[in-house]
Amino acid sequence: MTIVIILLVGVAFGFLLNKSGMTKYNVIVNAFRFTDMSVLKFMLTALMVAMSGLYLLKMLGLVVFPGIPATYLAGNLIGGLIFGMGMALAGF
Amino acid sequence: MKIISYFKKEQWSPYVAGAGLGLVGILGVFLADTLLGASGAFENIAGSIGQAIAPAAFDNMYFNFVMPPGLSNGVVLLIGTFFGGTLGALSAGTFKFRTNDNEQWNKVMGKKTWKRWLLLFIGAVIVEYGAGIAGGCTSGLAISGGMLLAPAAFVFIAGMFMSGIVVARIIYGNKY
Repeated sequence: MTIVIILLVGVAFGFLLNKSGMTKYNVIVNAFRFTDMSVLKFMLTALMVAMSGLYLLKMLGLVVFPGIPATYLAGNLIGGLIFGMGMALAGF
Repeated sequence: MKIISYFKKEQWSPYVAGAGLGLVGILGVFLADTLLGASGAFENIAGSIGQAIAPAAFDNMYFNFVMPPGLSNGVVLLIGTFFGGTLGALSAGTFKFRTNDNEQWNKVMGKKTWKRWLLLFIGAVIVEYGAGIAGGCTSGLAISGGMLLAPAAFVFIAGMFMSGIVVARIIYGNKY
């Protein structure tokens, strides 16, 4: 049953990515040129909704957080730098 | 009726889509104890293929413990993401096999299809490599990590934007 839910979550994720335009080259690259702010609007709205909802559920004692990504300062930063290069080149 | 026609539009407001993604993320954690993510799934698949072809080279610690090969939750999520995107394109009538369709790209770099595919491949290799070092991609680290308030997510987003802005400046030159 869990597998089916994961699949459906994936479907919803892909659907929203497509509908918001995140799959197009011009949307992603223009975020780096500051002409098209959709990427930031999308990511930050998602973060706001998800953060509030999750921490609310945690306070009510209904969820236990799964593995939080570990914080390696150098690793995350360097990985992010490399990632940004590829993102500006390819646009995905 | 209005909701159905909204589903058929090609491009939603990013706020609406973002709110939807937040809800989806919450449901994922709440119902299935799983986080969103894409790059981990690719590494699992690469591990499976690698173990079949050249077991000796892939027998290091990363592929044995951190990203085990095989069908994991991430791979199921990735398959779902693929079909979700297809569903989105179908519902808006924009589904077609395209090889080089983006107007902005054509304006900047010319119309050669092989050029687009080559840069796409190189960009993708760089992206996956960076995701392996950082521990995730935008969906897995920035969004899923961010919604759990992990500091790693925000460091990653900062790095991503720093280099992305620099590279976009380089490519776009004075048309910036």
